[in-house]
Amino acid sequence: MTRLLVSRIGQAAIVLLLAFTASFLLLQALPGDAILIKYQNPEMGLTPEQIAEIRVLYGADAPIWVQYGNTLWNFLQGSFGYSVQAGVPVNPLLATNLPPTLRLASLGLVVAVIIAGALAFAATLAPFAWLRNLLQSLPALMISVPVFWLGIMLIQIFSFRLRLVPIINPSEFQALILPVVTLSLPIAAPLAQILIRSLDEVQTQPFVSVARAKGASRAWVLWRHVLRNALLPVLTIAGVLFGELLAGAVVTETVFGINGLGRITEQAVSNQDTAVLQAIVILAAVGFVLINLLVDLVAPLIDPRLNTPIGASA
Amino acid sequence: MSLIPSNALRRKVQSTLAAVLLTGVSAMAVVAQERPVQGGTLVYLEQQAHTNLYPPAGGFYPNSGILNQITDKLTWQNPETLQNEPWIAESWEINADATEYTFKLRSGVTFSDGTPLDAAAVARNFDTFGLGNKELGYPVAEAINNYDHSEVVDAQTIKFVFKKPAPGFLQATSVIGSGIVAPSVLDQPYAELGDATKIIGSGAFVIESEVLGQSLNLKVREDYAWGPANVDHQGRAYLDAIQYIVTPEDSVRIGALLAGQADIIRQIQAYDEPQVEAQSYTVLSAPTRGVNNNVSFRPENPLVRDLKVRQALTAATNSAEIVSTLFSSHYPQATSVIASTASGYVDLSEKLAFDLEKAKALLDEAGWVPGADGIREKDGAKLELNVYESLPQPQNRATLQLLSQQWGVVGVKLNVLAGDSGSAATDNLDPLKTPLRPAMVGRADPDVIKSNFFPTNRDSLLQKGGSNANATWEDPELNALLLSIASEPNPEKRIALTGDVQAYLLDQAYVIPIFEEPQVFASAPYVHDVSFDAVARPSFYNTWLSAR
Amino acid sequence: MSSLDLFTTRRPALGLGRLRQLDVTLVLSWAIIIVAIAWAVAPGAFTPHSGTVGIAGNQLRAPDVAHWLGTDEIGRDVLARIIYGSINSLFGAVVAVIVGFVGGTALGLVAGSVGGRTDTLIMRIVDVLLSVPGLLLQLSIIIILGFGTVNVAIAVGVTTVASFARLMRSEVIRVRRADYVEAAFGSGGRFAAVLWRHVLPNSLGTVIAFAALQFGSAILAISTLGFLGYGAPPPTPEWGLLISEGRKYLTGAWWLTAFPGITVILIVLATHRISQSLRRPS
Repeated sequence: MTRLLVSRIGQAAIVLLLAFTASFLLLQALPGDAILIKYQNPEMGLTPEQIAEIRVLYGADAPIWVQYGNTLWNFLQGSFGYSVQAGVPVNPLLATNLPPTLRLASLGLVVAVIIAGALAFAATLAPFAWLRNLLQSLPALMISVPVFWLGIMLIQIFSFRLRLVPIINPSEFQALILPVVTLSLPIAAPLAQILIRSLDEVQTQPFVSVARAKGASRAWVLWRHVLRNALLPVLTIAGVLFGELLAGAVVTETVFGINGLGRITEQAVSNQDTAVLQAIVILAAVGFVLINLLVDLVAPLIDPRLNTPIGASA
Repeated sequence: MSLIPSNALRRKVQSTLAAVLLTGVSAMAVVAQERPVQGGTLVYLEQQAHTNLYPPAGGFYPNSGILNQITDKLTWQNPETLQNEPWIAESWEINADATEYTFKLRSGVTFSDGTPLDAAAVARNFDTFGLGNKELGYPVAEAINNYDHSEVVDAQTIKFVFKKPAPGFLQATSVIGSGIVAPSVLDQPYAELGDATKIIGSGAFVIESEVLGQSLNLKVREDYAWGPANVDHQGRAYLDAIQYIVTPEDSVRIGALLAGQADIIRQIQAYDEPQVEAQSYTVLSAPTRGVNNNVSFRPENPLVRDLKVRQALTAATNSAEIVSTLFSSHYPQATSVIASTASGYVDLSEKLAFDLEKAKALLDEAGWVPGADGIREKDGAKLELNVYESLPQPQNRATLQLLSQQWGVVGVKLNVLAGDSGSAATDNLDPLKTPLRPAMVGRADPDVIKSNFFPTNRDSLLQKGGSNANATWEDPELNALLLSIASEPNPEKRIALTGDVQAYLLDQAYVIPIFEEPQVFASAPYVHDVSFDAVARPSFYNTWLSAR
Repeated sequence: MSSLDLFTTRRPALGLGRLRQLDVTLVLSWAIIIVAIAWAVAPGAFTPHSGTVGIAGNQLRAPDVAHWLGTDEIGRDVLARIIYGSINSLFGAVVAVIVGFVGGTALGLVAGSVGGRTDTLIMRIVDVLLSVPGLLLQLSIIIILGFGTVNVAIAVGVTTVASFARLMRSEVIRVRRADYVEAAFGSGGRFAAVLWRHVLPNSLGTVIAFAALQFGSAILAISTLGFLGYGAPPPTPEWGLLISEGRKYLTGAWWLTAFPGITVILIVLATHRISQSLRRPS
């Protein structure tokens, strides 16, 4: 167990270093640069010489390998450099923007699980075949709706037409309703499909008939047996769901004008704010690696038959 | 018969419209004869997050919307007369060749941290604006030309000395970029002034708190007592607070306003104006009085180097159609390089007439003949041009697409690119990739033309010695004209030169002006007396809220 | 990407009665895809209007008899824009799937059949690909390659390489364990020959069904990029771009955003249904 743990942590560290290097090279390859984008803006009225001076100020004139070394060293010490566009260090930028995104993403995940569970049970237990079919095809519909389109439509309908939820200066709770729904629907869809399948499988198992014969209700039997069966496939996609949540956050935050990591990401890409992007990539990679590590360690506890890792390379 | 009215008729229509608008405004003023009420928070939806809040970076509208509330200037440019009137400076003297300016300052003015706004503070500000600060990374301010040094005569008197005549300086003391900040602000590195809470001014409002990139709260300064002398309202502002919320989505800004979630929004598009007015909300439009919204050519590119090609494209441009299709009465069709409300404006609409036959004839003469696909060719090259849309300009993508349609009629292909900021910034410096570029600048002084075209300023044409290191093309005659405007001390001669340069730019067809760009805001019916400076930066000093 | 894991949990074989019922939706799905392809091939046959040139003075008209889905800000017919946009959106999705399919299949095939160090190395690279947020990777690739339908498609394709590789690898490992493949090796078959003759064809089926599913996801991904401003350059009518451009006018002209959105939903839904039917019950 300890050896497995050490080897997994070692592999995780290698993945992180590779992700850092790859993203550093990728970001260096972008045409133009943050300084040019910000200061070339004619409204700033700067001459080329002035821009060159600003460049020296940010250390952006050093050779690439020196910059790589510096960046890596600073990252190891937990310092992420300066955001050119916002004119502030990256660390406080992340510190202010990470919590709202984490809150949005975790709520989104919780709501997604609830929606998926409710949908799966309804789709399995609904009284009529046509209704079951309809409910079973709902996840496919949910996955087919572009997230940004859904967000735009929800705002128009619920905030502006029906005036149910304000977008500007909402209370903490109101602020989260529409974004969480927007974010959770596409995440709920695959979960619901997995659950529906698990339920289908469980229903055909002999012990279900036995339990039923003993007088247990169908719903109770499914509830008893679905949890373990559903948990494993959900765990396997945990790392991937994390990525989906991040991508979803970019779009959701852009549409709803919520400040957060997603919006920062989108702006940083557009302005090629390399320091910010580099920090976000590493943050995301750390999250991904940690989740997979956790899944690898937890999965055998749920199902002792599993002694091979399932998270990183299923 | 074309559907486009003659120039004379069009002007008549415009002036009638202007009159209607004015009467509309004064009619409202009559209705709003109630007494201003103190109190309340104004919720302001801004399209973009602010960037660096060093005052000379205030040309960027989101920055100026904030800076205008928290900083004061030496002089106040009356938006009606365009004259400079007293503000922090009570009086001033200018020597005959405009190389020395002496300002007498009002006493008792303090910054919000309690330090005095005196001659030493003003000297520190203008030395930084005029000369920059290499150590801390401060660039030189665009509006200030030929600056040499300042002299503190006594605590309330300051003198500025220039290397060469600087006739635009008096006006420059009133622009958003000349807002005065506490000297301690200028001790900090330039790169850290993106943090609004670090900006300390003497204005009617003070920054209270900020969530970077999302929202900003301003609160009123109770002891404020130094508004511009000729403004009726004196003392503290009526509002208690202003809340800025960055809301990039156009449809969300307008939707939130109409749903009663916000009080005033910046940048409302022409297509949303009818529904705003239909719900008795107010559309506030203010002219920017500068270089009109235009496309500028880069003659370095061989495709547009030939004067005939540029003239042909000018004739193929139907700006009346663009204005009537995409815009509203707040966007007058351009009749010169600069707006009709700008100082030194000359009506040159006959040089901008829409004439398809002339366009085709000019292209034929220049040797460009239609190819099999309808696009003109010459020596195997196609007349195909690329242009990047400019995100801050209103409906620029639609404007360029319509232009592309119009040029297509005479066999010229215009590709509208919607790049990321990075590719756009890089490609826009390379005339071979971008033979033309959309541009506009707002500033109510003839210097604005130099700002837009001179190689070491915005360098719209990408001349030699400017932002493109590989440029070989330049127009010395144009540059000489531009320089002479910036240093001609005689106001009448300066206006005459401004007329010359407008004519020259259009004769050379370097630029195709399209419309006079306003800043358009929309506000709720209970928001009163939002005022604008000469170039449409909003001021909320006089603003008050009546009961909803 | 979550579609991969979803995909590998197989659905039990469906009863016959249920199959017949579902056929209606399958036929409908094929019909939708065929119409979309027909739009892509001969857009002119479906609309008298131009997809790129508008009529000034005809702008922002609500849906009526002349313009079934209304007109946009410079007087272009929205239905015509959707029809002419078909080629761009479908072509982009096809390119994206090909990139992901070819790249991922090759990686997965090598990893799964060679095994050992090579396998570990390839799968760690796949991990790195998965650990960088997909959207960020796509945006960076587009900025490097430049804008345009093909480049956007390549960017979307690259981010699916990892999923294809993982799926292909697990399929290869499954097939390798099958008796007849082991027998082929046992009877002295050359590695490459066995791979080509037995392993590849037997593992491809599942991967192709997955590719069909990815086709729908690619359309979504491309339209998301279009929404964020990284799509095909205007006036190219591309569905994501239509939604993205139209959203500015939403308060006054809902039809600019609503109809392209519904089009995307229908097409993606249809590809999901078709992918489902392609999967062999196991």
